[in-house]
Amino acid sequence: MRRLLLGLGLIAAPLAAQQKLDRRIAIASDASIRITNLTGATRVLGWDRDSIAVSGSAPATAGFFMGGSGRMAKLGLEPEEGGKDVNSSYLDVRVPRHARVWVRSAAGAIDVQALQGEVDLVSVGGTIRVTGSMRVVTAESIDGDIEVVGPMPLVRVKTGSGRILLRQPTGDVMATTVTGPIVVTEGQAQGARLETVSGAVSYGGTIDRHGTLNIQTHSGDVELLLPSLLGAEFDLQSTSATVTAAIPAKTDQVRKGKQLFFANAGGGAQVVVRSFKGKISVYGQ
Amino acid sequence: MICAELREHLAAYAQGTLAPADAAALEEHLTGCAACSALLEQLEPPTEGASALAKSIEPDTDLWPGIEARLTPFRGTRVTLPSWALAAAAVVLIALSSAVTALLLRPRPAPTVAVAPAVTVSPLEAQYATAASELSAELARARTRLSPATLAVIEKNLAVIDSALAESRRALAGDPGNAVLERLVIATWQQKMDFLRRATALGES
Repeated sequence: MRRLLLGLGLIAAPLAAQQKLDRRIAIASDASIRITNLTGATRVLGWDRDSIAVSGSAPATAGFFMGGSGRMAKLGLEPEEGGKDVNSSYLDVRVPRHARVWVRSAAGAIDVQALQGEVDLVSVGGTIRVTGSMRVVTAESIDGDIEVVGPMPLVRVKTGSGRILLRQPTGDVMATTVTGPIVVTEGQAQGARLETVSGAVSYGGTIDRHGTLNIQTHSGDVELLLPSLLGAEFDLQSTSATVTAAIPAKTDQVRKGKQLFFANAGGGAQVVVRSFKGKISVYGQ
Repeated sequence: MICAELREHLAAYAQGTLAPADAAALEEHLTGCAACSALLEQLEPPTEGASALAKSIEPDTDLWPGIEARLTPFRGTRVTLPSWALAAAAVVLIALSSAVTALLLRPRPAPTVAVAPAVTVSPLEAQYATAASELSAELARARTRLSPATLAVIEKNLAVIDSALAESRRALAGDPGNAVLERLVIATWQQKMDFLRRATALGES
């Protein structure tokens, strides 16, 4: 019996050290909302109400704050004294769908869903995931992965060694890494600029009829998987690696030194790839 | 007084390039200042209509030499130093930038820093090197507010950038005037600046 009580006590101890969060305030539907949760995970969900509702849990010693009215609100957790445990807290925040949301974290993951306004997200080492159809997405990290899923007019994402994954981008896209790979799938970008120093770049999908795809790497390989009948002008150059294009319908192929030019199906869109020593491969699908 | 100070940041805020800490201060101020909010509205880019604009306009000729000339205030009548002196100064600054980054970020004994070779360097590159040195010093001041793990990642990424920079500059030394290589070198500098800016902002926030 004593052992059982001791065991239950050990299980209950961490739970007792946590506080449950459940707060809400009224706010304008297009408010600016700033959320800070340095070490814990944060999920932000858009909803059709003019209020913010927060639930979650945090260490008992962590100070939760929340305030604001009209078009401005702030909430988050003050970091614990000496506490650096990742995911020691969890915030589930519901905000008006058209709100402008700003989230900062050091190590925690950030997950944003179903918003339609602007989001600005920074997590030094945590994963950032954005799903929906926001007007503007800005996400930055040093070491964390960034994933953006859905049709969005403007996406700007940057990480150092993390991986960037963009699914179904439709508008203007800018993605930058130092060593992390950049992967675009089901792309329909109007204008995409993908830059990395040593990460690999892979773009799959199509490009708007008058769109541009501009890729630059130092040593990362570049692989493009595009429709065979994509009307585009290609300008591909790698200073010290191979450049190959295997699009069945390509025409007017011109090789000038290490540069390969060709226009496909009459042109219209523009694809420009530059690399110092990364391999460049274009495939038709 | 506070309006005057904060208004200097409005343009950068509207373009989304203001450091997070400054942006936070500005946003707080904007909630209570109608005059600054009105000014911001005039500055904010028209993102709604932007998608209707042309995605790119191709110039008939290569505009880069002209742009480069305009970016370089030391050219033309202002130049008083001989070109060898500018090149030497640039090499020193580039070496200094890499060395300062490595030394200030690393409390342990610094490894051999990949210093770029002494080739002809454009004044534009010298300006990047100066700016990178300043940002490296800024990052060094902010390092106490960053965790050792974050510092290690920053250091690793900067080493990759410096290595790429040194490699592409070596290639440029062997093929001077190669426009593509010049642009790759400049693009790598921009990557370095951008990364330093982000790392510094993290330390400040």
